[in-house]
Formats: sequence, C-alpha cells, structure tokens
Amino acid sequence: MQSSNAINYDYTVAKYFTISAIVLGIVGMSVGVLIAFQLAFPELNNMFGEYGTFGRLRPIHTDGVAFGFTVSGIFATWFYVGQRVLKVSMAESKFLMFIGKLQFWLYIIGVAVAVVSLLLGYTTSKEYAEFEWPVDIAIVVVWVLWGISIFGLIGIRREKVLYISVWYYIATFLGVAMLYVFNNMEVPTYFVSGMGNWFHSVSMYAGSNDAMVQWWYGHNAVAFVFTVPIIAMIYYFLPKESGQPVFSYKLSLLSFWGLMFVYLWAGGHHLLYSTVPDWVQTMASIFSIILILPSWGSAINMLLTMKGEWGQLKENPLVKFYVLASTFYMLSTLEGPIQAIKSVNALAHFTDWIPGHVHDGTLGWVGFMIIGGIFHMAPRMYKREIFSKKLVEAQFWLQTTGIVMYFTSMWIAGITQGMMWRATDQYGNLAYSFIDTVEVLHPYWTLRAVGGSFYLIGVFMWAYNIYKTATSSKAIEKEPQYATPMA
Amino acid sequence: MFHWLEKNPFFFTVGVFLVIAYAGIVTILPDFMESARPLKGTKPYTALQIAGRQVYIANGCNTCHSQLIRPFKSETDRYGKYSLSGEYAYDRPFLWGSRRIGPDLHRVGNYRTTDWHENHMLNPAAVVPGSIMPKYGFMFKKDIDFKTAYAEAKTVQKVFDVPYDKPGMPKLGTYDEAKKAAYKDAGKIVANMKNQEIKDAYKNGNIREIVALIAYLNGLK
Amino acid sequence: MDMELIRNIQGWGYVSMIFIITIGLYAYIYHLYKSQREGVKDYEKYSNMALKDDIDDSLVEAKDPQKDEKDNEER
Repeated sequence: MQSSNAINYDYTVAKYFTISAIVLGIVGMSVGVLIAFQLAFPELNNMFGEYGTFGRLRPIHTDGVAFGFTVSGIFATWFYVGQRVLKVSMAESKFLMFIGKLQFWLYIIGVAVAVVSLLLGYTTSKEYAEFEWPVDIAIVVVWVLWGISIFGLIGIRREKVLYISVWYYIATFLGVAMLYVFNNMEVPTYFVSGMGNWFHSVSMYAGSNDAMVQWWYGHNAVAFVFTVPIIAMIYYFLPKESGQPVFSYKLSLLSFWGLMFVYLWAGGHHLLYSTVPDWVQTMASIFSIILILPSWGSAINMLLTMKGEWGQLKENPLVKFYVLASTFYMLSTLEGPIQAIKSVNALAHFTDWIPGHVHDGTLGWVGFMIIGGIFHMAPRMYKREIFSKKLVEAQFWLQTTGIVMYFTSMWIAGITQGMMWRATDQYGNLAYSFIDTVEVLHPYWTLRAVGGSFYLIGVFMWAYNIYKTATSSKAIEKEPQYATPMA
Repeated sequence: MFHWLEKNPFFFTVGVFLVIAYAGIVTILPDFMESARPLKGTKPYTALQIAGRQVYIANGCNTCHSQLIRPFKSETDRYGKYSLSGEYAYDRPFLWGSRRIGPDLHRVGNYRTTDWHENHMLNPAAVVPGSIMPKYGFMFKKDIDFKTAYAEAKTVQKVFDVPYDKPGMPKLGTYDEAKKAAYKDAGKIVANMKNQEIKDAYKNGNIREIVALIAYLNGLK
Repeated sequence: MDMELIRNIQGWGYVSMIFIITIGLYAYIYHLYKSQREGVKDYEKYSNMALKDDIDDSLVEAKDPQKDEKDNEER
C-alpha cells in the first residue's frame, strides 16, 4: 500500500492552528487569571498605567479565549477531522492548501492587530464584538477563506454522505458569519465627517435595538463558537478514541436540527426585565427551557456511546477528558435554562453567577474538548506518541479541581451578591450599601482566581506535553487506529 | 423525502441557514421602529459628552458598570427611576453592561457631583473605603480627542438624523463652533474642580479626559 | 404598512413557522426510523465514517463509485 504515489492526509495547516491554539490559549487565559486577581487585589490594576486596568484587559481575555484559543481549536480540528471523514487529502488540491495557509497568516495578523487595538482602547464596547471596523473586515475575510476550505474540501470528497461533524462545522461557518456581520454593522465616522480617527465607528443601531442585536449575537456566538463546533469535535474524537460507534446516529441528526432551530430564539434571555419588548423576553425564556432537549440529546448520545466501555475511563485519560467535557456540557445546558427563568434571572442577572455559568461551559466543555482533541491529533500529526501519560493524568486532575473551585465560588458569590442587593431591613429600606456587597465577595474572588490559575497551569502542562510530543517523543511506525499511544 | 438533505451540501447549507435566520427575523425586526423612538424630552449628547462617552468606552467602564435599572423596588430604591426604552434612543452603542461589579450608573448624574467624581476617579478607595475600582490618574493628564467626538456627532446627525441644531435640541454647528461650545461647557466643570493641573491645561485651551468624562456622567439622569 | 398589519403578519408567520417546523421535525424522525426499519437506508453505518477514516479504508458510501474503484486499484 505504501507506494510512492500513495496519498496521505496533509496536516500542515492543522499543525499551524494547533500552535496558535496553544499560544493564544496561554495568552487569553493568563490575562483571565490576571483580571481575576485584580478583582480580589485591586492594586494589580495599576501595574501598567492605563493599559493594565480591568476594563481594558477584560475584552482581551474574552476575545482571546473565544476568537484566539477556541477558534484556533476549531480550525485545527477542522483541518484534521475534515480531511479524514471526507476521505480526501489537502495534498490533493494545491488551491485548498494555499487558501488554508493564507487563512492562517491573515488570522495571525488579525489577532495581533486586534490585541494591540484593544490594549490602546479602540473598542466598540459591544461584548465579543469589540473590534473596530478594520479588524472586522479582516475577520470576515478569514472567515470567507475558511468557507472556501470547507466547501472546497467537500467538493472533492470521496465519501458521499457528510458525517455529522461536518454538519456542525458547516453550521458554525454559517452561524458565525450571519451573526458577526449583522452585529458589527457600523458607520466609520471619518468617512462621513472627514475628521477624527479613521478607525472610529458608530453603531448602526441605537439603544434597545442595539441591545437586541448585540445579545442575539452575544448569545449565539456562544452557540456557534462554544457549542456547535465543539459538538463537531466530540462526535469525532470520542468515537474514534474509544473505538465505539456513536450510540445512535439518528439521534445525532435529530439533535442537530433541534439545536439549530431552537438556539437562535434564546438570545433575549440576556435582556430579561430590560427595556426590550416583553414578548421577546418571554419567548426567549421559553425557548431557553426547550433548548435543554437538543443539548442533552447530543450529550446523552455521547455518554451512551461509552455504554459497556466505561473501563476505558481508567485506562485512557483522553476518554476522561471527553466524558467529563460532555458532563460539563450537560451541567451548563441545564444551568443556563434555569438562569433564563424570569424570576431566577431577576436574582442572577448582573451577578457572578453568570460568568460562573459561562466558565463551567468554557473551561469544562470547550477547553477540555480542544485540549483532548489536540492530544488525540498530535501523535497522528507528528508521528510520535504522547510524551507523558502521567503528565496528561496530572493535568486532568489539576484542571478539574480548578474548574470545580471556579464555578462553586462563583455560584456562591453570585447568589450572595444577588440576595444582598435586594435585602431589606424591617422597615423596608435597603439593608446593604453597594460596597458591602462587594467586600463580601473577596474570599470567593480569591478562590476563583486560584481555581483559574490551576487551569492555566494545566494549559502550560498541555503545551509542554505537546511540544515534547512534536519534537522528541518516541516515533511510531503505524498510525494508531483508536486509542492514542502514550509513554 | 429527506435523503437529498443529507447528501447535497448545497441544499443542506441553505436549509441550515433558513432555520437559523428565522428566529432573528421574527424577534428583532417587528419592533425595530418602535424601539428606536426617543422619549419626549430625551436629548442627544453634546459633543463634549460624546468625548466623555468615548473615554468611558475606551476604558471599558461598561465591563463593570451597568446602565440599566430594572423595575424592582430594590433597584429603584438604590438607583432611581427604572429605565425606559426611549431614554436610550441616542445611545450608539448601548452601554447596559452585563455585570455589576460596580453600581449602576444610568442616573448617576442625579446623586454624584463633579468634585465627588474628581476625588473618586483619582483614588476610589479614598472616597469609598473598600472600593476595588482602579485608579484613573492618567485621565487627568491626557487630552480628549475632540475631532473624533465631533466626527461621531456629525455622523449620527447626517446618517441617522439625530436632531442636532433643531429647536430645543443641543447645538452642533461647524467644527469650530462645536469646539468653542465644548470649551465653554468644559469651563463649568473645571470651575468645580480643585486639581491645579487641569485648570492650567484648560487655560492653555486643553480639555483633559477627566473633564469630558465628568460632563458625560453628570448628564446621566 | 401600519403597525396592526405588521403585528398580524408577525403573529401568523410565527405560528405557521412553528407548525411547519414541528411537523417537519416529526416527519424527519419518522423518516429516519422507517428507512432504517425497512432497510431503505442504514443510518447507523454512517458512524463508521469516524472509525474507519484512514485514507486507505474502504468508503462507507462512495460519492462517485466508478472513479473510486479505479482510485483503489491504482493504489
């Protein structure tokens, strides 16, 4: 079979994005840990003058992990999984190879410009859409290039039917494209008035409308960056790593359509009791509850895939990553709808319970899938076994501890503060001044920052392990079929 | 009848797009016009206030401070009257925020004064013991970018018909007129401040960031 | 168009879309299980696309059967 003209999968672009996922993960999460400590120890705000305050750094953390770490992970896994399930190699098309590399370098330039511009305070202020219009255009170009890669590869595929992961990647492409373009509609002020900063712009929408569009985007960016592509990953990596076919392929198809239809309605739950129309709020609340069904459809499908094979949890740390990831997915897709119930939201909104919820999804589900996915890919891309199994195990337990510390402290902090804001004395006057409700959070914020640090240390362990795997681990002759080989 | 969907990437893609696009159309479009209407008496920001708002945005104040008072007694007691949609008609972008690490600011102009802000921005913990807000001393040293602020006002006037220069509404006029007016507005704020450096800068024709920011915060009512 | 009309269109559009989508989804479920039961199509075999994904593995369902056979012979 190994004749000279045999085709092999070409992982060049996947390797590029693996590196950027690791680097940007470290950058984004380091900033996250720093700003977490800033809340507990405010003097840390004044280290770098105006460039080191919480307000400046927070977008770098959120965008860094969402569009740096996660999107790199999505691209890396696509350029790996895409070829394999379509049974076609990037090496078969010079054009697609060129587009893939172009996409990577434009992406890196875009990230660099974005980080610098945010540090300098050039921001539109809309969450996860902070970039000014020149960066927005770069992002759109990168995204279109990715679209060309997806549909180009599909065009030359050998396998007739698209595997479920490919469905989810296509949906990611479409969803993010639609949301990003509409939320970032802005008018560059220089071109209208002829003066001032050329990169400054003003939003196309005002007030309540801006809020509606923003949270339609904000909520669904979570859908199409933190959920949909991660499901694409787990539908490939868990079956492949464990050697078990998906429990029910039909269920995976159903959950897909369910998720696609229901998710987009739920954005308004970020605006409960705000000034957007009541019916939008109620509808968002209801759809958020319905959203449990398709979410759990995928998660349960994954857990049942391991039916009768739970012994693998003991032997294979990667299976542990995937199984815990789907468990955290179930947790956060139950927690989210609970927070979207109007009376619960009245308490939870504006408190730490919300970032707590986001982080048990992102750290537990998104982070673990990308970390686990790259662990699976590395030996096959670099033709070497994983450098150290012990290190993988240690990383798993350290990060899991970190996540648990993180979300438990944030739950307590959020509910405490929410209760204190509304507490009254016997005469009906407010019982606490605002600063009381801040000071009480200090221990929880400290715990949270420590939990986050654990996770960050885990990411460093991951980076080291992958680096060693790529450079100096024991070479493997034949590609492993299922379980990833580890030293 | 569904086989085409699973095999043909084109139909599949169109199908997914229709399914995900529908929700946005139904929820956002219908009330778009109504939500854009200003409340009677709501006025657009002056150019100086826009400069202050740009400082507010550039430093991510909205990451910790909301500008949305929800209709609960605990909130109206603490922050004042609950927010109405029409009050935000000239807010581009909206600044509701998503996390109250600090208190809501939608009506901060009703209960804080220029000198309170001056002391507080320089060293928050000195005014509110236990405060975790960063110090913003650099705002006392940096000048505003008035050209960009004016450009923003001019743009919303031209593109979105924001009623500057209409009867009973703030005047904008040409750049030179606006600059003169902003300088005059800033003078009223500076008069209530103690910092000598700010006063000296003002005499030399410079408006510091803190002055514009306070003009913006005082206008939030 | 006055507000009333917009509201009406919106209401009917919303209800009918929910209706259509719900029927569509149930029809799809029925279709999936019926095809499987009657042997028209074995959906579960598609799981193998992830498991047998080496470039030399046999295809689950070839896009272009003839070209592919030639392809395999060459290799």
